[in-house]
Amino acid sequence: MMSLPFLLFACGLAAAWTSRREAAMGFWVAGVLMLLVLFRFHATDVLNLGL
Amino acid sequence: MTADLSRLLNALGLIAIDTVLVVAFADQLWFRDLPCPLCILQRLGFIAAGFGVALNLIFGPRPSHYGLTILGAVAGGLVSLLQILVNIAHGSSYGNAIFGLHLYSRALIMFTLIVVGCAIMLQFDRQFAPAEPLPARMTVLPVSAVALLAALALGNVISTLAICGMGLCPETPSGYLILNDNLNLTLLGKAP
Repeated sequence: MMSLPFLLFACGLAAAWTSRREAAMGFWVAGVLMLLVLFRFHATDVLNLGL
Repeated sequence: MTADLSRLLNALGLIAIDTVLVVAFADQLWFRDLPCPLCILQRLGFIAAGFGVALNLIFGPRPSHYGLTILGAVAGGLVSLLQILVNIAHGSSYGNAIFGLHLYSRALIMFTLIVVGCAIMLQFDRQFAPAEPLPARMTVLPVSAVALLAALALGNVISTLAICGMGLCPETPSGYLILNDNLNLTLLGKAP
C-alpha cells in the first residue's frame, strides 16, 4: 500500500515525458493525497508539548 | 532571468533532490538502515517536490509547477517536523546519524531550502515568457535529472514493497517482510 504513491508519481513522470501534462498533474494530486492519508495512519504518537 | 537559465537552475535543483534520494537509498542498502514509515513518507515528499521541477524541465517553467514543488516540500516537511518532535518528546532517535544529523533533520533543512529556492525563482518573471517547444531542446543534464527521478520513484516502489509488503509498514522495520515472510529467504536488513 505504501508503495502505491511512488507508483503514482512514476506514472505521472511517464505521462509528463509523453507530453500529457494534465494527466501528470492528476497523478501528482493522487500521489500527494495518498501521502497525506498514509501520514494520517502513521502519525500515531501523541505529543505532550506545551504550545 | 531567461527561460534557459531557469531550466539550468531547475536541472541543478532536481539533481540535488535526486542526490538526497540516492543517499537515502545508499544508507538503506550499504548500512542496512531500513527506512521507517515516516522516512518513506519523507522520500515521497522529495519525489512530490521533484515532480514539479521535472515538469519545469519538460514543459518549461510555469508558476503552477513551482506551486507543486512547494506543496510537495511542505507535505514532506510536515512529516520531518513530526518525526523530529516525536524524537525530542521521547528522547529517542531513529537510524544512523550522518555527520551529526539524522536523515529526518537533514530532510527538514532540505525541504525548507526547496521552498525558499522556489520563492526566489518565482521572483523572475521573464522565465515564464513563451518559448519554443522544449523536448527538442532538452540537453543531457535535464534529461538525466528527470530520468534519475523516475528511476528512483520506481526503485522506491520495489524497496517499499519489499519492506512493507502490501499493507502498512511496521513502525520499526527489522527486515524485508516480503523476503522473510513470503519467500522465507535470509534477512537482508538488520537482524531482529
